[in-house]
Amino acid sequence: MDRREAVKSVAFLIGGALSATTIATLFDSCNEPGKSGVLFTDNHGKLVTELADIIIPTTAKSPGAKAANVGPFITMMVKDCYPDDAQKAFVKGLDDLEASAKKDFGKSFLEISVKEREQLVTKVRDQTVAAQKEENDKIAEAEKLEQQTKGARPEKEKAGNPMAFKEGPKKAPQFFAIARDLTMLGFFTSEIGATKAYEFVEIPGRYDGCVDLKPGQRVWA
Amino acid sequence: MNLNTKATAQNTYDAIVVGSGISGGWAAKELTEKGLKVLMLERGRNIEHIKDYTTAMKKPWEFEHRGRLTEAQKETHPVQKRDYPYQEYNESFWVNDLECPYTEVKRFDWYRGFHVGGKSLMWGRQSYRLSDLNFEENAKDGHGVDWPIRYKDIAPWYDYAEKFIGVSGENENYPHFPDGHFLPPMQMNCVEKSVKERIEKKYNRSRILTMGRTANLTVAHGGRGSCQYRNLCSRGCPFGAYFSTQSSTLPAAVATGNLTLRPFSLVNEIIYDKETQKAKGVRIIDAETMEHIEYFAKIVFVNGSTLGSTFLLLNSTSAEHPNGLGNGSGELGHNLMDHHFRCGASGQAEGFDDKYTYGKRANGIYVPRYRNVGNDKRDYVRGFGYQGGASRSGWHNDIAELAFGGDFKDLISTPGIWSMGLGGFGETLPHHENRVYIDKNKKDKWGQPVLAIDCEFKDNEAKMRVDMMNDAAEMLEASGIKNVKTYDNGSVPGMAIHEMGTARMGHDPKTSVLNKWNQMHEVKNVFVTDGSCMPSAACQNPSLTYMALTARAADFAVSELKKGNL
Repeated sequence: MDRREAVKSVAFLIGGALSATTIATLFDSCNEPGKSGVLFTDNHGKLVTELADIIIPTTAKSPGAKAANVGPFITMMVKDCYPDDAQKAFVKGLDDLEASAKKDFGKSFLEISVKEREQLVTKVRDQTVAAQKEENDKIAEAEKLEQQTKGARPEKEKAGNPMAFKEGPKKAPQFFAIARDLTMLGFFTSEIGATKAYEFVEIPGRYDGCVDLKPGQRVWA
Repeated sequence: MNLNTKATAQNTYDAIVVGSGISGGWAAKELTEKGLKVLMLERGRNIEHIKDYTTAMKKPWEFEHRGRLTEAQKETHPVQKRDYPYQEYNESFWVNDLECPYTEVKRFDWYRGFHVGGKSLMWGRQSYRLSDLNFEENAKDGHGVDWPIRYKDIAPWYDYAEKFIGVSGENENYPHFPDGHFLPPMQMNCVEKSVKERIEKKYNRSRILTMGRTANLTVAHGGRGSCQYRNLCSRGCPFGAYFSTQSSTLPAAVATGNLTLRPFSLVNEIIYDKETQKAKGVRIIDAETMEHIEYFAKIVFVNGSTLGSTFLLLNSTSAEHPNGLGNGSGELGHNLMDHHFRCGASGQAEGFDDKYTYGKRANGIYVPRYRNVGNDKRDYVRGFGYQGGASRSGWHNDIAELAFGGDFKDLISTPGIWSMGLGGFGETLPHHENRVYIDKNKKDKWGQPVLAIDCEFKDNEAKMRVDMMNDAAEMLEASGIKNVKTYDNGSVPGMAIHEMGTARMGHDPKTSVLNKWNQMHEVKNVFVTDGSCMPSAACQNPSLTYMALTARAADFAVSELKKGNL
């Protein structure tokens, strides 16, 4: 039985438990649109590779994101592991980055210098920090308002109500935050990142709870 | 009776064990070692020790998504994805939720693994004895029914279980925290040592901090290798260094020559014989062929996990047992408990910048219960323990928000801040209305009806959480930890994966399902020894207690069988 058939038969067995939309989503995911469909152009792929190398560049101490092949990892992860809205925000962020390179420097992000790239990325970073702050302020404001209109919460809801499970409000996906997160994940778990930036010991064999920090000690991968 | 006698003979054993997880593996080991021919039935696939731990030796870069879940996995695992255990590292150990739906009257996170070994492959391995404080508390404060046993009844079986599986830890001679037979404890790191010293001094050892007691071997034991400090236990251990069915009880059962293990065998019903008033066997659905097959035995051990076993009993109806097997009390499916957690405090340790650790310890520290003990009286009943620990990460205090660049990379590649945290694990009370029942409006992949779960934490748990949070902060501050922050992330039933209580033991057949030997009051050759038997939850991690109760029940069952009583 192939996967599509399997999903169908499960959906049948569950009976009305799944909505038409859910089943449609399941079938969609069988097609794995990220893998066959076109989410990123070749130019996007190159942009991601260069952006990642600005976030985690080669230094005197260790190679960087490009050496660790983090670019293709990021585009694969955005395709496989992110919902539609985040995928769209990510692609738009790349397009915006390219547009700002052309506006500020008259050239593609791929053609400007590392210094110039850093300037642009700093700008995007600052915008992202500001956008996240604004969003958090809005959420805090909304919560405050809700408390004022509903009155003070009963004591048991203030602290310790175990059933008040906090999912957290859904926040808008931010291009730079995703790019930075995936660059760090991809780099420090890559063979180069884990063995040359961090230190990787496959089988430590023992635990020493208190060792003297040696000069140049790196974080254990 | 219209039976093919030859087929019956071929399908007949001395004992049937339903389930192959922590307690099922123990039942199989004990019964086979006592000479019984045992059929162990497991609903899922086989997982062979070492050979089938397919991700155990993979390096971080060999995982395509570096541990994260794909959107496709989130679609098929809408429950399993709710918390951290379901990850790319061991994704094949967790159920596809779409194949085995259930009804959440209130949110209940049900984590399941359908395979030989069950959750013994993924468990947290913390192993603590219950004490008389726990066994007496139901009777003293009136919640639930009295435990039909006391510490002296189970103590020798705790000894027996610990000696066999290998538990590392430290004897503390601390009230209501029984010592045991431990392999050498794992080491504390320098921050934990300092916090231990300062807490025990400040509270004059009325509160203690000890190394976690864990079913990880610190020295080779019983033919199994010692822990290699990779902290990758949940993928399955190629060194056999933590207790699982595969590493420990299954090889012992197989060695007797008395075990038949049948994977893909979903036990759908226990068959009741009204002539003998006993179970005569079980009916299974072959999970691959959907074929229904009957197996027969003199005794049946039910070890299908708390809610799995409860479903099976509720689903085993007959004219004599219309509401489920052995459910004359009406308590079957009721009194569901879990632990509540995700609440505590953490902060930073200063003064240890020149110290680091080597190796990855799959264990933390433990603060045993001190609340509502002796003269301490709170505005809630029962109590909590803490698990936690200190570690040093690559994070540094002076990093700007969303920092990037070469200096940033080099900085976070060097050891940074030490952090120390304490997270409470609180006892929950057995409430009759916290229950499960069969919902016939849905079917699972194998055509069975499903469970509906209606369970919530209440005021006693809520009040306890205030202490869980504030006490953690107070102890950390008293230990010189800086920048201490409290947290309460909320905790819904199921999340701690310590669900228990839905087929409780008790003295009285009118108010309980099992007697003091985990034997059904009403069906004498059926024994239930997984978490469903628990009359109270205590606050300790419960698996060691299931092992001890299983060995004890198996000993009783075989002696009754020999006396001709079963």
